Amino acid sequence: MNNNNKHYDVIVIGGGITGAGVARDCAMRGLSVLLLERFDFTNGATGRNHGLMHSGARYAVTDKESATECIKENMILRKIARHCVEETDGLFITLPEDDLAYQRTFVDACLAAGIRADIIDPAEALAIEPAVNPDLIGAVRIPDASIDPFRLTVANVIDARLHGADALNYHEVTEFIINQNRVKGVKARDQHTGQIKEFRASVTINAAGIWGMLIAQKAGITINMFPAKGALLIFGHRVNKMVINRCRKPANADILVPDDTVCVIGTTSDRVPIETVDDMRVTDQEVQLLLSEGEKLAPSLATTRILRAYAGVRPLVAADNDPSGRNISRGIVCLDHEERDGMAGFITITGGKMMTYRLMAQIATNLACKKLGNNATCDTDTTPLPGSEQIATQRDGAKRSFAFNAAEGRHGTYTSKIKLDTDADRALVCECEGVSVGEIKYAVENQHVHNLLSLRRRTRVGMGTCQGKLCACRAAALLGRFDNNIPKAQADLAQFLDERWKGIKPVAWGSTLREAQLTATIYQGLCGLDKAIERKEGSK
Amino acid sequence: MTKTQLASISDHNFEQCLKCSICTVYCPVAAVNPAYPGPKQAGPDGERYRLKDPKFYDEALKMCLNCKRCEVACPSDVRIADLIQQARMKHHSHRPKLRDMMLASTDLVGSLATVVAPVTNFSLGLKPVKAVMDTVMAIDKHRTFPAYASQKFETWFRKNAEKRQNEFAHHVSYFHGCYVNYNFPQLGQDLVTVMNALGYGVHLLEKEKCCGVALIANGMYNQARKQGETNMASMRKSINQQSRPVITTSSTCTFTMRDEYPELLGVNNDGVRNHLSLATRFIFNLVDEGKVKLAFRHDFKMRVAYHTACHMQRMGWAIFSTELLRMIPGLELIELDQNCCGISGTYGFKKENYETSQAIGAKLFSDIDAAKPDFVSTDCETCKWQIEMSTGVKVLNPISILAQALDIEKTRQLNGVN
Amino acid sequence: MKFDTIIMGGGLSGLTCGIALAKKGRRVAIVAGGQNTLHFYSGSMELLGSVDDQDVTHPIEAIAALNENHPYSKIGAQHIASLAQQAQALLADAGIKTTGDASCNHYRITPMGVTKPAWLTLDGLATTSHPDALPWKKVCLVNLEGFIDYPIDFVAHGLRNLGAQVETPTVSLECLKQARRSATEMRATNLAKVFTNTSNVARLADAINTACNDTEAVLIPAVLGYDNDDACNLLKAQVKAPLYFLATLPPAVTGVRINAALKHYFQMLGGRFLMGDSVENVVIDGDKVTHINTTKLQAMSLQAEQYVLATGSFMSRGLVADFERIYEPLMNLDTDAPQDREQWSKYGMMGDQPYMSCGVVTDKDFHPLKDGSPLANVYAIGQVLGGHNPITMGDGTGVSMLTALAVANAINS
Repeated sequence: MNNNNKHYDVIVIGGGITGAGVARDCAMRGLSVLLLERFDFTNGATGRNHGLMHSGARYAVTDKESATECIKENMILRKIARHCVEETDGLFITLPEDDLAYQRTFVDACLAAGIRADIIDPAEALAIEPAVNPDLIGAVRIPDASIDPFRLTVANVIDARLHGADALNYHEVTEFIINQNRVKGVKARDQHTGQIKEFRASVTINAAGIWGMLIAQKAGITINMFPAKGALLIFGHRVNKMVINRCRKPANADILVPDDTVCVIGTTSDRVPIETVDDMRVTDQEVQLLLSEGEKLAPSLATTRILRAYAGVRPLVAADNDPSGRNISRGIVCLDHEERDGMAGFITITGGKMMTYRLMAQIATNLACKKLGNNATCDTDTTPLPGSEQIATQRDGAKRSFAFNAAEGRHGTYTSKIKLDTDADRALVCECEGVSVGEIKYAVENQHVHNLLSLRRRTRVGMGTCQGKLCACRAAALLGRFDNNIPKAQADLAQFLDERWKGIKPVAWGSTLREAQLTATIYQGLCGLDKAIERKEGSK
Repeated sequence: MTKTQLASISDHNFEQCLKCSICTVYCPVAAVNPAYPGPKQAGPDGERYRLKDPKFYDEALKMCLNCKRCEVACPSDVRIADLIQQARMKHHSHRPKLRDMMLASTDLVGSLATVVAPVTNFSLGLKPVKAVMDTVMAIDKHRTFPAYASQKFETWFRKNAEKRQNEFAHHVSYFHGCYVNYNFPQLGQDLVTVMNALGYGVHLLEKEKCCGVALIANGMYNQARKQGETNMASMRKSINQQSRPVITTSSTCTFTMRDEYPELLGVNNDGVRNHLSLATRFIFNLVDEGKVKLAFRHDFKMRVAYHTACHMQRMGWAIFSTELLRMIPGLELIELDQNCCGISGTYGFKKENYETSQAIGAKLFSDIDAAKPDFVSTDCETCKWQIEMSTGVKVLNPISILAQALDIEKTRQLNGVN
Repeated sequence: MKFDTIIMGGGLSGLTCGIALAKKGRRVAIVAGGQNTLHFYSGSMELLGSVDDQDVTHPIEAIAALNENHPYSKIGAQHIASLAQQAQALLADAGIKTTGDASCNHYRITPMGVTKPAWLTLDGLATTSHPDALPWKKVCLVNLEGFIDYPIDFVAHGLRNLGAQVETPTVSLECLKQARRSATEMRATNLAKVFTNTSNVARLADAINTACNDTEAVLIPAVLGYDNDDACNLLKAQVKAPLYFLATLPPAVTGVRINAALKHYFQMLGGRFLMGDSVENVVIDGDKVTHINTTKLQAMSLQAEQYVLATGSFMSRGLVADFERIYEPLMNLDTDAPQDREQWSKYGMMGDQPYMSCGVVTDKDFHPLKDGSPLANVYAIGQVLGGHNPITMGDGTGVSMLTALAVANAINS
């Protein structure tokens, strides 16, 4: 695609949930939009968090504004992003070592922020959530939920496209086109071809999360951001049905979220240097901390297999008058660089949370519209995302195939677009997660899939307990056939397995280590994948 | 953090699964029936999704034979078949059909049939009756129903054996099971002969109910649980008050009461499990410990092919039966390769399963043909029906072979029995 | 129950040892807690494939240069050639025909389409004598419709890269319609069950003959020969062009077949195979094991003169890694594993992962050490041994068979 001649109203930089949300909002208001992402969508913090749809309760005591935003957005997402949300509800539990008096403070703060908060008997809490620590002395039920950030982001991208936007992943912004203190567009490198392309727009919106700091630097602008690493652990299956939190001041590893077929404990919080944010590794200390705290929420975690460890980086923004970062806000930060830095046509939207992405997008889009003289109103709070148009389909699951049911959780009403008419299309590539050949074809054709990594995020290929043992090879063979590029498919396979290993390594003991050994036996021993990627092509 | 990650504990070890697919190699059903998703998908893979949402329960799980061959093959000790059976118990919605209830209620139907055995056997063998069963009851017409005996084992026992049992120095209780009671009292009589020769008096349990394996297979879990409780109460009395361990001659009944009771039905068998044994194992142990001696007839000659029944395989006890048979000087033993015969209790009787059932057994049948034995031996009564029907070779329980091979008089003398 | 030797573990190593002992008339029992790693088999045994990331051409020569901790060094380089011969003969006696030579590696063709050094390859599988050349200029690479455990495009690419002209027809058989209908069970081993029927083999042969004209060789995935190689031979006889098999993703039909053949042969020799049972308790008195108990036989203990530990590596649970340590679970034998969990593995999946070469420590006669002293009537063989990385060195099956034979020979003498 060569967009060099097209002039956009808006270029959005960053294919995380914020960027995708901005692109959707802009497109829905009739702006012509280009979304650029340097790797795959959700590659940053969006794809590396709890998958928790906060009720806001966590912030109620310390940050009422955030709490209020959260519960509002929470209620909106339940309507517009049904297929990404599982309405699990959540508990805030008090353990013997915690101060039960805090519960009252907590509930009052929740109610003040508009968050439903019911104190329930510990016995009732155990009955509705048998995984919870039976020693609990108090419990509050709140409307937390589980949300899939991969689906949410892709649904936003697809809707932006349905409203005329262009979206390009694997395009990295290398520099700004600036003329007389006005950003006129960007130059971006196509990561696959190496080609540098120019894209022009009236307004450029920087929605690149923590990388937004580096993006702004390219325009000569300083934003004072503090990368905060948060590590999490994924367990092999669901032990809990509800989100479990600790009823105390927010601290490390005090949230356990059921996500799809797994559950996730997190998180830690440590400042890290900006240079390291592209390669976050979870340390042994973090693993130990997550485990010891996690066991307090749900004791069975002590004996549950861990699939992998991962870490994301939150984009925390310091106030402009506070370069030391002592007064970090977790609120939404929208910077009009024309006003702030004298650089016209450039906006940065950052801070905030995944939960409030829609509101962030609305704020950034409002500003862009103001600059462009567009008066359209924002409809993103009432318009369902693609896949969420209908009330969840009836529970006739038992009559349908496993592949269909599993896919429905990922694509919502769009599952009907997946062709599952033939035996070949119904065959499962990924047995752990029920991903069929048909679903892979659908994702490749419709969801910006360039490699196994992006395929995984669209479909959960390789996200199950085996972390890609057979499915990665099957899927790589399919991608190789679609692309007609075998060396690339094999290199992609090796890279994918190595990326899986990166998350497995910090938790490589027990069955997880056994599984890794079997995977290595198959790919290196049996298949000789290592030799395949070292092979000189076309030597004969 | 003392316990942290030192053990992996999940229902039926399901998350120890390495997705290695070995179970799929040994599943007899998946190989012949594409509608069955196979043990990996039905078991540990499906379980993760069922934990997320019960809608992922697949009715195809009822095609599982519960033969446990997947569990035997699993290098990670995942109790795959238990996972599948448990999912069926938890999620299945269909009420059992009349046919299934009839097939499952082995003792009720057995009682009725024994009373009118000649008539029942005659009519069960008649073509028109078979046709009615085939169409109305959906019991396959190819099946020969095991004939009902004219006299129940219990009746025979009370009339002919009970009185002298107290004369022996040692005592056991005998859980005879439905098959011995209604269809083949001879095996029970053989057991009494052998045990008496070893100096053991044989007694009936105060109350014996069908072990419930057929009820479990047909989804009648509550009834199975009730019967299990009754059996456990009787056995506890036998073991604790009368100091009589319990022996059986059926591998499936034994397996059900030892393993399925606690794992699937939640019937507590503490205090019973270790005193409930298959007769071959019980006798082998006595011989091994030097507590009894066996004397064999010199004129006994038999070529026997031993078939390890699925539940026998799961219990890991085939070695007791085969070692016991190997003690018989005139017996030539061929151990058949491990394959399911396909009947799996009542499964093969159902019309919809007939073809699958025979396809599963095909390998075993051809191995038996090739081995050309005088008899096949196995510890499972339903394997016996299936093998006899499908190969024409007669099948004997190892205890019956022992009864034939023993020099009873000499054995009695060796063991101090008057 | 008394035996001469009890082998804990029923994989390649345990079976090899059991057969070698039973052949000499010893009473042997194998306790096997489930199936084994032969199910992930490539179709070839490897003696030594790689040293310092370089393919090994002459394994016997290269073995002489291995360090002293390698199991081969304990056997003694001078004994490798004769043990290798003994291994090949043992396989042949069990009905497993192989070709290959310990003095010079040949090459197998992997599902990724690359060549890897091999010592013995099952008869009928495609091999080449040179890592960068094929014996054919023109091949017909056949796949079966719907079979996704065989990345045929990868294989085709690899063969083309080695200079062959490759055609890739897919054949569609009515007899596989049932298998295709299953979303998950169209696995190599389930296809092999379909091809135990000779008329289905004939249909496959017809389809191949129709699809492949004017070719030097037909290559098909190894989906025939479940119980024995009858179906393979039948197909070869009926296909006009020379036909060879290629390894698939697991479960491997070739491995299932070898496993069954070895087990069958062991039992034929009078060996007792306790399938699906596992050792629960090993009782040690001084420097000797007195008896063992298993989960299934419970109170009935098993006794023997010698005990052989052939329980495999982590994936076979011969070694266990938990949050705190790596240990040998049956006797708590000494291992060479690093103390610190972070040292067990490292970033970069394809690298030399330390855990891969962890294992029990033995003296030069393969008596494992416990608290620093050898157990006199215990031997350790196969992948439970430390001192080598089967993935990077390509010596897994060789170590399994040769240590098994070295120990069996020691016991037999």
